[in-house]
Amino acid sequence: MNLIFDIQQAIEDHYDYKAFCIDNSYYTYKDLAQQISNIRNEIKTWIHQEDTFVGLVVNDDIETYASIFALWLEGKAYVPIHPDFPIHRNIKIIEQAGIKTILDSSENTTFDICTNIQTKYCKTLEIDLVPSSKKIDNTYAYMFFTSGTTGVPKGVPITFDNLSGFIDAFWALKYNITSTDRCLQMFELTFDLSVVSYLVPILKGACVYTIPKDQIKYSYIFELMEDYELTFALMVPSILQYLRPYFDEIHCPALKYSLFCGEALPLDVVEEWSNCIPNATIANVYGPTECTIFCTDYTYNRVGGNIAHNGILSIGKSMKHTFTIIVDRNNNEVKEGEKGELCLSGVQLTPGYWRNEEKNKEVFFDKEYDGEKIRFYKTGDLCLVGNDKNVVYLGRVDFQAKIQGFRVELSEIEFHVKTYLDKKNVVVIAFINKVNNTEIGLAIASEEFDTTLLLGQLKTVLPHYMIPTQIKFVDSFPLNTNGKIDRKKIKKSFGEYHN
Amino acid sequence: MEVNTIKNTIKDILQSTLGHDRFTMADELTAKDVDGWDSLSHMMIITKIEEVFEIKFKLRDLNKLKNMGSLVSVIQTKI
Repeated sequence: MNLIFDIQQAIEDHYDYKAFCIDNSYYTYKDLAQQISNIRNEIKTWIHQEDTFVGLVVNDDIETYASIFALWLEGKAYVPIHPDFPIHRNIKIIEQAGIKTILDSSENTTFDICTNIQTKYCKTLEIDLVPSSKKIDNTYAYMFFTSGTTGVPKGVPITFDNLSGFIDAFWALKYNITSTDRCLQMFELTFDLSVVSYLVPILKGACVYTIPKDQIKYSYIFELMEDYELTFALMVPSILQYLRPYFDEIHCPALKYSLFCGEALPLDVVEEWSNCIPNATIANVYGPTECTIFCTDYTYNRVGGNIAHNGILSIGKSMKHTFTIIVDRNNNEVKEGEKGELCLSGVQLTPGYWRNEEKNKEVFFDKEYDGEKIRFYKTGDLCLVGNDKNVVYLGRVDFQAKIQGFRVELSEIEFHVKTYLDKKNVVVIAFINKVNNTEIGLAIASEEFDTTLLLGQLKTVLPHYMIPTQIKFVDSFPLNTNGKIDRKKIKKSFGEYHN
Repeated sequence: MEVNTIKNTIKDILQSTLGHDRFTMADELTAKDVDGWDSLSHMMIITKIEEVFEIKFKLRDLNKLKNMGSLVSVIQTKI
């Protein structure tokens, strides 16, 4: 399979179809092809052959999406740069990736430390979607930066081999997507779930629906789903938490596929959600950026009997090209059913963090299977595999806290609090207090209430060292830019003194 | 309820949620113009408004709240 030729073919085959719906304006595949051709010409003119990584200021417009495809046709990779992120962080990314040129669709250029190509003001040329280079196997497609523990963002480069592997494994899930489908793209382009959200529809001639930046995400998603009768939607579970008070207003029979990824998916919320989308297949997919978008899949069963642990739905089995193992601290496989760190291998795995040998040594390791060396990535996710081979996500390895010497799984406490409170969202964190002891903080999304009964109940199901010592009430949880619950911020609100 | 009464009540809610009064209650005022009015505080402000006016927004109402003027008129239709 040669992904870039498939993209060319898909665009050329669907000229009269709608490719994007951005802020209520439609763009056909022909409009997209035109933009791509115009931008490619600028890339050819201004960017050196040997420059691989090109910065892309990510706006919500057709030029930004066209820029991605234009770069790929020219054998180049994009590094998304968020115009609303702190300038200091963006400059670090530009320096680390060695970016010399930035494509920018903004009215005024955002970064003056590089050559800027203003994609809104390109000459209109004849449409040309023929890829410049025939061989794309080991070239890079994109590089995303994830937050590093030391405060310096880590670059995760993904090759076309990685991306092709993902797309092939995605098709193997047998989701029926065609040129008549309408697909949600709710993610910032700095988050890799955006890649599947625009690429899969484009490869099938379907239409991509985006979220304008000035909109409230969760309510806008709902309107898109109802007004445009979306058929495919990949979302982060937090969106469901926001929509939950309004579930009785939501009825979307057109939705065929409702996928979730990015954080733990609570089974009870999915059960309620399934009534809003009576005809959809619901799936929980999982994967870190390092293993190209996602790599395991669990299909929710509407009639029940779903696999869950502490109320969190299973992340299922490895997709076609991924091989998973669960290991202990010494990278030895644990026995079936035992907890350990989930490790991933296969063609979707990144070649390694960009210019960060130290981190690469820490999280990638080789293991021999049948005389063959296999490279694994340690996800930092605590999981177990049952005898049915489904992987159950238990929390982050670093969510595990040591309280008075005892190992504590924070997700377990969350589960018991949620069971007692019924339909309230809660987050449990471990934080270091003034005297350097680890305490357990419980944040509840609710109006204030007397917690005596709750604590009494917890004491009946949990050992004393797992009982939260600080409780806070919030209206809702802070989210990070990827739309996930920002646990760091919650930690800080409890007066964490160290990171 | 009079428009001015509604506006004053919203002003109090904004002040107590955001912790400052560096904004003017013009009809054109949007979240972007106000320090600290992000997606999280938006949720809190909406919840507080529902509480104080004893109303409940529909999911569809939330997208109509483009600026202060539209917020006030949506509230007016509910009380």
